Amino acid sequence: MNLLPFVASGIGLGAVYALASVGLVILYRASGTLNFAFGAFGGVSAFLAWQLTRAGVPAPIGWIAGIVASTAVAYGYGRVFAPRLAHRDRVVRAVATLGLALFLLGAMAWYWGVGVPRRLALPTDIDFVALFGVRLSLTRLVALGIAVAMVGGTGLLLNRTRIGLAMRALASSRHISGAIGIPVVRIDTFAWLLNGMFAGLAGILFANLNRLDPGYLTFLVIPAIAAAILGRLSSLPGAFVGGMVAGLIEALLIAFPDVANLRSAGPYLAALIFLTIFGAGYGVGARE
Amino acid sequence: MSELANAELGRHGSIGLPLPAGPEITPRVRAAAIVAVVGIVSVAIALTANRYWLSNFTQAYCIVLAVLGCALLYGELGLVSLCQWALVGVGGWISLRVYHSFHPPFLLTLLAGGAGASVIGMIWGLPALRMRGLYLALVTLMLAGTFQTVIFVTSFPVGGPGFLGQVGASGNDRVMMARPMFAASDVRYFFFVACVTLVCIFLVEMHRRSKPGRAWALIRKNEQMARAAGVRIVFYKAWAFALSGFLCGVAGALLAGLFGQLDGSAFPATDSIVIFIGALLGGCDVWLGSFLGGILTHFIPALLTDLNVDTNIGFMIFGAALLFALRDPLGIGGQLAIVGERLYKRLAGRLYKQWQRQQVP
Repeated sequence: MNLLPFVASGIGLGAVYALASVGLVILYRASGTLNFAFGAFGGVSAFLAWQLTRAGVPAPIGWIAGIVASTAVAYGYGRVFAPRLAHRDRVVRAVATLGLALFLLGAMAWYWGVGVPRRLALPTDIDFVALFGVRLSLTRLVALGIAVAMVGGTGLLLNRTRIGLAMRALASSRHISGAIGIPVVRIDTFAWLLNGMFAGLAGILFANLNRLDPGYLTFLVIPAIAAAILGRLSSLPGAFVGGMVAGLIEALLIAFPDVANLRSAGPYLAALIFLTIFGAGYGVGARE
Repeated sequence: MSELANAELGRHGSIGLPLPAGPEITPRVRAAAIVAVVGIVSVAIALTANRYWLSNFTQAYCIVLAVLGCALLYGELGLVSLCQWALVGVGGWISLRVYHSFHPPFLLTLLAGGAGASVIGMIWGLPALRMRGLYLALVTLMLAGTFQTVIFVTSFPVGGPGFLGQVGASGNDRVMMARPMFAASDVRYFFFVACVTLVCIFLVEMHRRSKPGRAWALIRKNEQMARAAGVRIVFYKAWAFALSGFLCGVAGALLAGLFGQLDGSAFPATDSIVIFIGALLGGCDVWLGSFLGGILTHFIPALLTDLNVDTNIGFMIFGAALLFALRDPLGIGGQLAIVGERLYKRLAGRLYKQWQRQQVP
């Protein structure tokens, strides 16, 4: 069987997963919160963009409004709830975001409904590039470009700027960072802002590449977490590679119709396997 | 000073009012309180509920068991398990499988479901024997997600041939699981479930107040210390998972008995999260918390359905509730238990003083 077409389509998907898992890692590194609501943030952004575009607003304004909305939700949570839980276990902080995810999922499902076949159309869908004999829509290439640019930009931000330095300091020790005068809450909030922005962008792209559905977008956080675990929730290049791998696996699984029924268990299983391999001795749980 | 007040003191520094002096709350008084609360609530439900609500409260009692298991792990050991509803499914699957293969008496089916789920729960908890915290929460969530898909594809046995026990697409020859002879009617089955719930609450209370409970408390405080004190950490952690799995398994078997069959689409991962929220909302340290938390977990969606309101609102309520419940470690049940304790001490203290006065000539 010729798997190359699936690989080609997996690259675009993988780029968006990479975007998502990098977004998760930025926040986890800086504030120690694993954001289960990441997918729901993306959903808010995608749905708003879709709604506005349908109402006749020019598409770019719709996308920007979507990303602004998801960033605003992330900012609100990071400002209001996150600081109140900052002194608790990592697990409690992660579980709290699960509550936020459930809230947003319920709100989206209530307002926009579930199970309606919908996609967010982008103008780049029409143009395509032929690669390995498959029509690869421009959106996928744009997604790849955006992902690489954002990850590169984040790397520069972390390594070259003052605020990046503060974020790295927070990652190694909150208490000492606070003691030497780093504004912990402000840096935390900034990490939430970045997280919301990544989520908004990833949500719009996922809603275009796959589908626009509250449950689907909310639970996209699972493969993204799986990908981030591949980078031990701390390394940006690791998360990027993890995301690409996740996208490729998902695209390749389409090639095997025998397991089609069980495909939605794929990300969970992958995360389980990654957790047992990479999470057990060090990384995820060890920093408790 | 009572145990609860101590727990509260430890967490909040000080409680507003000192507990009134009075007779201690002995295990016997506590047991009477458990029987009284569950009994009165159950009778009240049976007297007032129509068919819809009776079935829903029977389900709610089953969910109380799952919440009890979840609260046990979080309250005693601080372990976040997000796969309790999946374990209910496992218990249901096993009991249906056993029922269709051997047609044993209902109680044996119940125990088989409990025992099977307790083994699976122990296996699923294995990662936690090495590590706690975020890692376990992630692993259990992934397990719940995997189970959701697998059970949707394989579904539950309905008396067909083979291991999976499926029948053809028409579904005409589905075999229902029979309820026990003594609890065939809806009301009787409800009381049967209430009795099982009561037994399970006592099972957990017994564990909390005996050797395993002390071992768990020590492990939670400090694992190194516990090991130094000679506590077998792996054994007692595995024990907690087994007990929690058992409770879920029993709940699954009871649900299977209620409906005669189970649906593969009824075990999504989100419901496991909601069970955890229910446990937190009720409070993980007291039995009353699990009882109220479990009932609320089912009551809110059932009420929304009854009122023809979109059930997605339920997710919004639970999501928001989680954000607030995380900040109040006592939960609704814990708060009520303190009120009850205070009332009891005041009343019993007054009676005791009267009795003393009568003794003096």
